[in-house]
Amino acid sequence: MINSNADSAMGILFPNSYDSLVPELVTERLMASIPFASRYRLVDFVLSSMVNCGIDNISLIVKRNYHSLMDHLGSGREWDLTRKKGGLNIIPPFAQKTVNIYNGRVEAIASIIDYLKRQKEKYVIMADTNIAVNFDFKDLLQQHIDSGADVTIAYTREDIPKALRDIDVTKKDLYYTLGIAEDGRVQKIVVNDKQGGEKNVSMNIYVIERELLMDQIRQAYVNGLTYFERDIISPQLDKLVVKAYRHDGYYARILDLNTYFAENMKMLKEENVNALFAPSPIYTKIRDDNPTRYAVGSHVKNVMAADGCVIEGEVENSILFRGVKIGKGAKVRNCVLMQDTVIETGATVEHAITDKNVRISSYKELKGTESFPVFVEKRKLV
Amino acid sequence: MAKEMIAMLLAGGQGSRLYTLTQKLAKPAVPFGGKYRIIDFPLSNCVNSGIDTVGILTQYQPLVLNEYIGNGQPWDLDRLHGGVHVLPPYQKATGSDWYKGTANAIYQNINFIERYDPKYVIILSGDQICKQDYSDFLRFHKEKGAEFSVAVMEVPWEEAGRFGLMVADENDKITEFQEKPKEPKSNLASMGIYIFNWDILKKYLVDDENDPNSANDFGNNIIPNLLKDNREMYAYRFDGYWKDVGTISSLWEANMEVLDPENSGINLFDDDWRIYSRNSGMTGHRIGENAVLENCMVTDGCSIDGEVKHSVLFAGVKVEKGAVVEDAVIMGGSTIKAGAQIKHCIIAENVVIEKDAVVGAMPEGDTKGVATVGSNVTIGEGAVVGPEAMVSDDVKGGDRV
Repeated sequence: MINSNADSAMGILFPNSYDSLVPELVTERLMASIPFASRYRLVDFVLSSMVNCGIDNISLIVKRNYHSLMDHLGSGREWDLTRKKGGLNIIPPFAQKTVNIYNGRVEAIASIIDYLKRQKEKYVIMADTNIAVNFDFKDLLQQHIDSGADVTIAYTREDIPKALRDIDVTKKDLYYTLGIAEDGRVQKIVVNDKQGGEKNVSMNIYVIERELLMDQIRQAYVNGLTYFERDIISPQLDKLVVKAYRHDGYYARILDLNTYFAENMKMLKEENVNALFAPSPIYTKIRDDNPTRYAVGSHVKNVMAADGCVIEGEVENSILFRGVKIGKGAKVRNCVLMQDTVIETGATVEHAITDKNVRISSYKELKGTESFPVFVEKRKLV
Repeated sequence: MAKEMIAMLLAGGQGSRLYTLTQKLAKPAVPFGGKYRIIDFPLSNCVNSGIDTVGILTQYQPLVLNEYIGNGQPWDLDRLHGGVHVLPPYQKATGSDWYKGTANAIYQNINFIERYDPKYVIILSGDQICKQDYSDFLRFHKEKGAEFSVAVMEVPWEEAGRFGLMVADENDKITEFQEKPKEPKSNLASMGIYIFNWDILKKYLVDDENDPNSANDFGNNIIPNLLKDNREMYAYRFDGYWKDVGTISSLWEANMEVLDPENSGINLFDDDWRIYSRNSGMTGHRIGENAVLENCMVTDGCSIDGEVKHSVLFAGVKVEKGAVVEDAVIMGGSTIKAGAQIKHCIIAENVVIEKDAVVGAMPEGDTKGVATVGSNVTIGEGAVVGPEAMVSDDVKGGDRV
């Protein structure tokens, strides 16, 4: 069996992780299917990175609102994941367990433990989908194997973002900072660090041997534990060799509506786009749009736009998703306009995020501020 | 399992009048309209018309075309039974032959067609830009009780002599066929799109093959033979947009017409009749601080910080600050560096135009040519490529061509 190579890994993604941070964007979807960077969904980044690193058996354990994700991923063809063995595997909550939709990774993984047992890969790589990143899973796996660690956690070195410090514990979305020894071994895992300052912030990307993962999950599940990090890894830092892997490349962490807006805006800088979309490509669903058309009389500056747009008005400092229409005399500044948004003739829109299929009527004015962008929900007519 | 109608797409043409653009690829694979290749049009028409089995007859430089077609998935033509099949000439027990003519190409693939046991076969050509509903054509064919029908376009009488013309009576029944006549009796030009009853087509292909004097061509041999035998032949009038993009100037013109869908009749922004293509997979395009855009089409992967007017840019084109692009068709992956002037021309794929180089010029007086730069060419810094020039090799900095 090819996949039983000593260094092969399968992937498990948690598309609902951190949903509670962006309530506006997940009313009809989940974190993984939030549109990002003009033609992508957040899941595209980790998924493509895995595929580009030779991981071709990827399971997504979904929890709720996964309709849009299923629609986006389809059979997984765009990510080259239509495989007879492995490929893409979306795991909805098991019918009998719906009364108790999983909380935390322990229950989520416990629900697929029979499936895990049947897989051939030696390692499992787990990840969330709230970070847009072109991640080198090959390098991570190699370090994991070379270091002889039981678990390796990827992290970034950064000032703890304000949005994380403000996290509402009652919503049960935890984040972790790592205390790392000189030899790279994780000594301490701090849950919801309130102190701020430069820290090792976990990306919630883990490598672990499949057999070890199953053992740990079985034990944790019978003991009624919830969180993989807090309840399994953290208490066993002396028993398990847990190493850290630092990611120094580009990443966009979505933590609330403001970071969503800001991270999109960062795509207007060429160096950021080049950093996020290289060295390996990011795949996404194909929509077969025509090229974008800039009509006579359009004024466009500092814009990232996908295919299928028709621009007749003025646009500045904005991200336009597929099929956006901007009418004559309309002015759009500092906006993120998702798929098929229509800005009618003469309307003015500034500092706004419009969800899919929003329509702003003629000569309407809609203005937010930089620190507080206006959000217009899906299919809304303004 | 029998199919009502399958399509055979003639894609073997060299397209020699496109010169440098078709040096390394077949004409149907020539890029068009920002993100398409010419062959996307007949293939999308097939799918949109409910035809799910297409044989593509290739011969000249098939590599790019084969890779592009792949398993046919972008056109929804990856089917369990049917789908798209690329059909190059192949070796048989009795020997092997190149496709000698359009009719011979179909003749050599009789076995392919028989596998689907179709009632009708539509013959398409891979070098036209046209959005056409073949199911309406088939409805016409059936209503007329035809054995053969041909799609025709009305052309201006003064130009009729350049075409193959169908003379038809008030019932659209064809009475005569004139190939590029000096004195046209009709202004109904054949579009090279035919529907045959398969039994009839097969009989005439076999007879034609046994005729040692035949050129094995539909226009010159099969159609005259059908006429001679008084077959039920009808002309189906099509009045939508149709363009044979067989020359540099017609290819350029058709691209420009895409920019003016309201007047030209070629609308790529039509949700009811989408043209499918294999996508570049590049990220959304970026328009910089210094860009000026007016009446142009831009697609994924482009990065524009210069001035672009009335032009079509394909995937991954870069236009640097201070560069000027006007009336131009710039194909995928090409870079226009700062200060370069690109006007009234076609730039093929992966070309680099260095700083301050000049390619083409706006038409003035008698010089109306479309300058053309072949794929993978570099035009050196400050070099000048004249308005009528055709460049297939690198031009050194400062040189004039």
